[in-house]
Amino acid sequence: MNEYNKVTPKIVEEIKKIVKNENLIIYQDEENLKSYSNDESGGEYYAHMPDLVVKPETKEQISEIVKLCNEEHIPITPRGAGSGLAGANIPIYGGIVISLERMNNIIEIDTKNLVAVVEPGVVTNDLCRIVSEKGLYYAGYPMSVETSFIGGNVATNAGGSKVIKYGNTGHHILGLEVVMPDGEIIECGGKRRKDSSGYNLLHLFIGSEGTLGIFTKIYVNLIPQPGKVVDLLVPFKNIEKAIENVAPLMTETKVLPSAIEFIDKESIEYTSKYTGMKLPYQDEVESYLIIQYEGNNIREIEDIYEKSGVTLQKNGAKDVFIADNRTNSEKIWRMRRNWLESLKAIDPYVPTGDVVVPTSKIPEIMAYINEVSKEYKVDIPVAGHAGDGNLHPAPLKPSKVSPEEWKELSEEILGKIAIKAAEMGGAISGEHGIGFIKKELLKQTKEKEYARMKEIKKILDPNNIMNPGKLF
Amino acid sequence: MNIAVLVKQVPSTDNVKIDENTGTMIRSELESEMNPLDMYAVEEAVRIKERSSNTKITVISMGPLSAEYAIKEAISMGCDEGVLLTDRKYAGADTLATAYTLTQFLKGKELDLIFAGERATDGETGQVGPMVATLLEIPVLTYVNKIIEITKDDITVQRAIEGGNEIIRTTLPVLITVVKEINEPRLPNLENKLRAKKSKIDIITNEDLKVEEDKIGLKGSPTRVVKVFYPKISRQGEKIAVKTPQEAVAKINDFIKEKGVIS
Repeated sequence: MNEYNKVTPKIVEEIKKIVKNENLIIYQDEENLKSYSNDESGGEYYAHMPDLVVKPETKEQISEIVKLCNEEHIPITPRGAGSGLAGANIPIYGGIVISLERMNNIIEIDTKNLVAVVEPGVVTNDLCRIVSEKGLYYAGYPMSVETSFIGGNVATNAGGSKVIKYGNTGHHILGLEVVMPDGEIIECGGKRRKDSSGYNLLHLFIGSEGTLGIFTKIYVNLIPQPGKVVDLLVPFKNIEKAIENVAPLMTETKVLPSAIEFIDKESIEYTSKYTGMKLPYQDEVESYLIIQYEGNNIREIEDIYEKSGVTLQKNGAKDVFIADNRTNSEKIWRMRRNWLESLKAIDPYVPTGDVVVPTSKIPEIMAYINEVSKEYKVDIPVAGHAGDGNLHPAPLKPSKVSPEEWKELSEEILGKIAIKAAEMGGAISGEHGIGFIKKELLKQTKEKEYARMKEIKKILDPNNIMNPGKLF
Repeated sequence: MNIAVLVKQVPSTDNVKIDENTGTMIRSELESEMNPLDMYAVEEAVRIKERSSNTKITVISMGPLSAEYAIKEAISMGCDEGVLLTDRKYAGADTLATAYTLTQFLKGKELDLIFAGERATDGETGQVGPMVATLLEIPVLTYVNKIIEITKDDITVQRAIEGGNEIIRTTLPVLITVVKEINEPRLPNLENKLRAKKSKIDIITNEDLKVEEDKIGLKGSPTRVVKVFYPKISRQGEKIAVKTPQEAVAKINDFIKEKGVIS
């Protein structure tokens, strides 16, 4: 099934004809092809070289290229910014990488319908910035917001810190234009917030990780921008105390935070070394919550943080620190945002797990991670989204383990944690996706559903040319 | 010990927008905060208070009524009380008029130390602190990155100078402007936030201060903004295609020789 044809000089010529510009193609250029061989998942050991990279500029070009590949049985790997964490954009069978980097136009910001229409290669942060200039807000907010593309966010149904209030990327997508594996261009949804017309194909494509088609146009939902934001940094004696606060925060204060993040003791130590910054009570506590609220004005914000702060203190917070201006907010988030970078400074290939459990089970899964850490004698700092139960355990390679051994060992460690999370009523991936690294785990934990997913894939991509080897 | 900290409210953005017609900054109340560099001044004052008894810190700002927020931010970090010099007549003040107005309030007060940030992130002049010291006829120590010792009569500090540091001692009272390296400003906690919220800021207008009208606001400001414009960034690039790295190096070599960078 996975015997694919190679990219021949004849095919290269045909692709040149389609894109009409040699600079949009990388071929027989090892150094530049290498930039498209990996993502942020882990080590060099995950990398695979593509035969050719093409950077189309229109949906028609993409459609033509896909048709050609479908006829010639050449695997296609669609690629966004390459910031994925599950290997979904690694061309594991070689073939052609279709990089969406040149499709980075913001087509329209429709302030009458509160919809932005964008191409997939738009950096999410740019979208946020541009709509905010019009007093609007894109509530999808992956932690990789400064680098990742909106297309990749949709393809992985990316999450981030604001899921508790706004849901993950899928909640903000109103429509998609998709080039199907046979080259046909279809449109699901659009500038409308309701649609009961048949199957919800839109949400079939969201989170499909490039296995069902390539997005060429994305309709993004916009909402009014909150006037004011406040961030709370809350130290707790231990994880249990921190997590116990998540539900009361909402039931007792009756306000929904826009983020509840948490960071464990090991993570604090690593990020503190990396950023040179010390958090209050750092030597006395094992966990922090970072809580964010949005409000219309400063008075509302003051009311919210007072109510929330009092609740937190009553429920065992060591203290409650408040940042209601940009400088202090930055200070609070610097630790959380630099978490992965600070681990990469120690181990450039640190893999990050992405398990999700019911929020109340966080202490239980954390205890299990601790057990695994002891069993394997591997440091596993954890940060995550306490508000939605999504955790990122990040095992650090012990110096005596070779990269090859580490690939196996780290997958085993993260696999164990993922299976445990699934057993607790959670899932193996909350926001990063499956890619090829977690496909066995998906099969293992969701056997019947996995088989149904595979049937869908077979119908839509019978020749299995669209991002093969991913998910299945 | 009596300490004063001078703070300024600045726009809370990296992207200050200037109205090219009027030459003034486009401000909005929602996006203001205490000048980040003033936080270091506040923090240093609070640290001194924490290690010496009977110390009172007064935060002083001159600006519109909304600058109360900046003062309250300073109080939430541990300062005791706040004073806001505000009057329509003060509008449009340059650094000299601002320093003069502040001085009229400060003179005669029994102060041992006056702290200020090295400069404000909006105007970027760094002049108000030293001007206040000059007008008050007290010593000024700028770019201070460490306070080494304070006694009843004098203070020893380390200040950043080009290529190193210098240690300097002077008598009190003194005005000190601090740089970022001096400390890590604290985050205010709930208790202090609530205390700041309840605190009453002393509002002083020119009715109280009675500063000569030709020395305040736009009238008292010799600085004239002649023109404000966004710098246009234009670069001329030339693309040279070569086949080998050797050829590329040779090309660059020729180019910098031609420009006289090397001979």
